[in-house]
Amino acid sequence: MKRHFLALLFACVAGTAIAGELRPFTADTLTEIKAQYAGRPFMLTLWSLTCHHCAKELQTLGRLARKDKTLPLAIVSTDTPADAQDIQAALKRFGLDHLDTWVFADAVPERLRRGIDPVWRGELPRSYLFDTAHRAQAHSGMLDEKRIAEWLGASRPVK
Amino acid sequence: MRRNALCTVGLLLTVGAISHASAQNMPAMALKEKPALAVGATIAALGALWIAHPENGHLWVKRSSDGGRSFTPPAQVTPAPETVTADAENRPKIAVGQDGIVHVSWTQNLGERMTGFIRYAHSTDGGKHFSTPLTLNSDRQIISHRFDTLATDGKGGVAVAWLDARSRTGKIPKGSPQTQVGVYAAVSQDGGASFAADRLVADHSCQCCRTGMTWTSRGPVVFWRHVFGKNIRDFAVADLAGGKVHRVTDDEWEIDGCPHHGGGIAADGHGNLHVVWFTAGKTRQGIFYRRLAGADFRPDGKLTGFSSMHPPMPLGQPNHQPGHPDVVAKGNRILLSWREFDGDRYSVWAMLSRNAGETWNAPLRLAESRGAADYAVPVVDEKQAMVVWNTADEGLRILTVEAAP
Repeated sequence: MKRHFLALLFACVAGTAIAGELRPFTADTLTEIKAQYAGRPFMLTLWSLTCHHCAKELQTLGRLARKDKTLPLAIVSTDTPADAQDIQAALKRFGLDHLDTWVFADAVPERLRRGIDPVWRGELPRSYLFDTAHRAQAHSGMLDEKRIAEWLGASRPVK
Repeated sequence: MRRNALCTVGLLLTVGAISHASAQNMPAMALKEKPALAVGATIAALGALWIAHPENGHLWVKRSSDGGRSFTPPAQVTPAPETVTADAENRPKIAVGQDGIVHVSWTQNLGERMTGFIRYAHSTDGGKHFSTPLTLNSDRQIISHRFDTLATDGKGGVAVAWLDARSRTGKIPKGSPQTQVGVYAAVSQDGGASFAADRLVADHSCQCCRTGMTWTSRGPVVFWRHVFGKNIRDFAVADLAGGKVHRVTDDEWEIDGCPHHGGGIAADGHGNLHVVWFTAGKTRQGIFYRRLAGADFRPDGKLTGFSSMHPPMPLGQPNHQPGHPDVVAKGNRILLSWREFDGDRYSVWAMLSRNAGETWNAPLRLAESRGAADYAVPVVDEKQAMVVWNTADEGLRILTVEAAP
């Protein structure tokens, strides 16, 4: 019974997303993110406090986010809810704390990884560039700032 | 509208259950401490099973003489509380040689993330009392000296190797492809009473994969994820006598990132090395075992190469995320273990060879668990083969591959 309330709560939280909060990423979260971006491209970035390269990746994203306040970016930490304080501090440092952010919330991270992409084995940073039809290009390791900018330019409808 | 009404009701009903967890603006996320599940294990004289495990701010060592059914009361290794890094790629290491000396190494977290000192202690009274811990990294900056590995020859030789970021703050020219992390090692010739100054084994290693070490008939060799060229993160073997870096996998994994997924090495009694590792390279993807046959050393202890590097053998079911393999050896006997996840539960697997890796038994599925779980830690001697697996739901499990007769 409690599980149902929690599931409902997660659904409600996702349904009334408030940017700037670090939210729990569960088995259903990617579906919710896709619903949020229905018909629109977005980028999913996975990172961790324990990943040497991730700080540089977040720095790049922070630079892009300053230029474009509506950057369609979902940022997911693969740490645990116990690390929330440090995660929020890092996101703030890189100027990403106003965006949609999550942290893995499952004692078995393999379950969440499998839900995102069965081929992904936990290497970081890991990025998915979803196009308007939500077909994804996956990339392990740091992404070039130019590639992200070009992809965003090509995928987003002309205003 | 209906959903909003439902949400309001649901939120009101749930609020009592989660009110204690809202400190970080994260409803329903319990802010509990991460469990320190990572343990070290080895098997020594007369089949004694030794476990090193962190708990309550200390490192402890306990011993079982009945295959893990019962243990001695744990002996405290750390005289003062310290944070023993123990998750995923980090675990305390324990090695017991023929001389009966119990060696323990671990990485002490220094408060900041990705920082650590390499610590070592030993017991000469069968694990009842431990020496005052030594810090083996001579560089004392609050930076990364982590991912320790430990080996002994049981005749006074003890070696500890680790990944060290000291050259990051040193002389590497700007724009150099160097990762600015290298493998360092410290060696003792007196059973761990004292260590010679630590020294560089190889620069330009990957930053955060576990390392492995084994003691061959010609001294210790270390195994780690190196960076070849700018960003090819494949595996290397080197002696601690100043020999060259030998590339032993040709996976061609080019990644400007962190695999967080290393490998293991073991020497058998016939001059062969046995390695296991993870890769997502161009050549192959998954976990693999490889026999490096006929390790050849010069008289000065430098490893010159192998008579043959056998083709990599894939392990596990590719659609079950097989990962974190390890290997141990004793004489002719080689034991491999790894972990899988099928979407619902973890499982632990093992393969045993009784002829130095020429043939293998079929993979054995030893146990499963639905909750958080450590990697599988294999142990082997002349008669027994076991896998130690610490799980959040079922506790510390000693899984028998081959029982003592």
